[in-house]
Amino acid sequence: MSEFELSIIGPAFLASLLVLSTHVPLGTEVLRRGIIFIDLAIAQVAGLGVIAADTMGWEAQGFMVQIAAVSAALIAAYILHWTDKRWPKIQEALIGVAFVLAATAGILVLAGNPHGGEHLKELLVGQVLWVNYEQLLPVAIISALVLFAWYWMRDRLAGFGFYALFAFAVTASVQLVGIYLVFACLIIPALATRHIASRNLRMFFGYGVGVVGCLAGLVLSVSADLPAGAIVVWSLAVAALIFAWLIWPLIRRVDRP
Amino acid sequence: MARISFRAGEMNRIALTLLALLAPLSANALNVFACEPEWGALIEELAGETVELAVATTAFQDPHRLQAKPSLIAAARNADLLVCTGADLEIGWLPLLLRRSGNPGIQPGNPGNFLAADYVRRIEIPRVVDRSQGDVHPQGNPHIHLHPRNIERIAEALAVRLGEIDPANAGEYSLRAEDFLARWGEARDRWEGRALALEGMRLVSHHRSFSYLANWLDLDIVATLEPKPGIPASGAQLARLLEQLTLNPPLGIIRAPFENEKPALWLSERLGVPVVEMPFTVGGNEDSTDLFALYEQTIVVLEEYVQ
Repeated sequence: MSEFELSIIGPAFLASLLVLSTHVPLGTEVLRRGIIFIDLAIAQVAGLGVIAADTMGWEAQGFMVQIAAVSAALIAAYILHWTDKRWPKIQEALIGVAFVLAATAGILVLAGNPHGGEHLKELLVGQVLWVNYEQLLPVAIISALVLFAWYWMRDRLAGFGFYALFAFAVTASVQLVGIYLVFACLIIPALATRHIASRNLRMFFGYGVGVVGCLAGLVLSVSADLPAGAIVVWSLAVAALIFAWLIWPLIRRVDRP
Repeated sequence: MARISFRAGEMNRIALTLLALLAPLSANALNVFACEPEWGALIEELAGETVELAVATTAFQDPHRLQAKPSLIAAARNADLLVCTGADLEIGWLPLLLRRSGNPGIQPGNPGNFLAADYVRRIEIPRVVDRSQGDVHPQGNPHIHLHPRNIERIAEALAVRLGEIDPANAGEYSLRAEDFLARWGEARDRWEGRALALEGMRLVSHHRSFSYLANWLDLDIVATLEPKPGIPASGAQLARLLEQLTLNPPLGIIRAPFENEKPALWLSERLGVPVVEMPFTVGGNEDSTDLFALYEQTIVVLEEYVQ
């Protein structure tokens, strides 16, 4: 691998690591609760927040865009937390409805003001290959805070805390790597490791699947010149299958809770 | 050194250029990165084999949007000269690509950054930049390449710029430019002669991609189907359009190869007029192999309407 190829992969790989750091643990929880589409809904609402800010006349730029996005995501998180308590049996369906409502509300608002469309695209279709090092710092800080909250206050995070953490993590990562890759990082490692009883082993192998999948995808992207986000999603899926069907059956004896 | 392979259907030009870039032998040739096929074609006219050319988009890709691929970053990193449209056309991806390229020479404001729209008089510049108007392009319409006078001005400026970047070959660039402009002037006279028959032709276009062409040939573009890119027209807008056009139908509906076909087909069915895909840029149809052929094909397509 040449120095030049490393310079292409470097920032993209660091961005993937940051996204994985929060999404692997959050993903196992999302899977346990059976609310896997929550990231799509939250990301879409974050985008809606930016459009709304733009329409209300704040010249949303830079930091203000982030404030608008996170505020909207937090409101959505609060509402979804409330519906989770009120109607737990239909929570997944309500999340789906929230997703289509947010997505179509964006279209309705943009019909009068398409200028926010650019922000919406920036928010929802981040491309991992365009990432540069300066963009990583704020996401690294947010990820560290989310991880801290997750590991030190996990047991007190039963209610709104979980949804709020999720809002921060998804809003930050979607802009970096796009919604497809966020969804894949959240769900695929969690799926591959769902049979592991020990919490620590599950995290260890979840991170392993994520890191191997992302790295393989980025290397493939450079060697075959393919759009990076899409090929990383596929290599994550392949890494998960190899782990769950070939590797785990050989070593499952280590899993004694 | 890594192998870089390409999917079938990718532009051979990028592949060839990249292979050349990776081969140390060609290190002396000037590397040019063009954002759109029309500027790639213009570079070929002005520099021919003297430069290594990489073109970022094909005629079938919307230059407003682009997927990030490693070869793009590689090409931008190695470029001595970047030739793009500017006027915010590539705003969604070019700033990111430039930042990511780590190539100081092609950053905005440097000689290695050539924006074609800086050298022409742009049309459709809003008098008042007001966000309530929606689709505000404060820089005016960026689809500038379908007016031959624009091509002339840009060719002159680009030949000068090539000479500044690569003084060793400056003489050749200026000779080639002279030759190109002479041939282009003759061709323009011929096209203008034929286009008299097209004057006042009433057309509907998908987006405002053909405004400069309409200006040049005196075409009458009576409506656009998607005035705000990416936002579907509302029911009321479509109803108004249909009412207006039923009374006084256009000759046809034109669109660029990368534009969504559905709105055009919808209208075509209701009005009983044909939808025609214009080549729009070099490579947009089989015969549009260079700038001359692009203009020739554009006029041929329009002539078929009139017959």
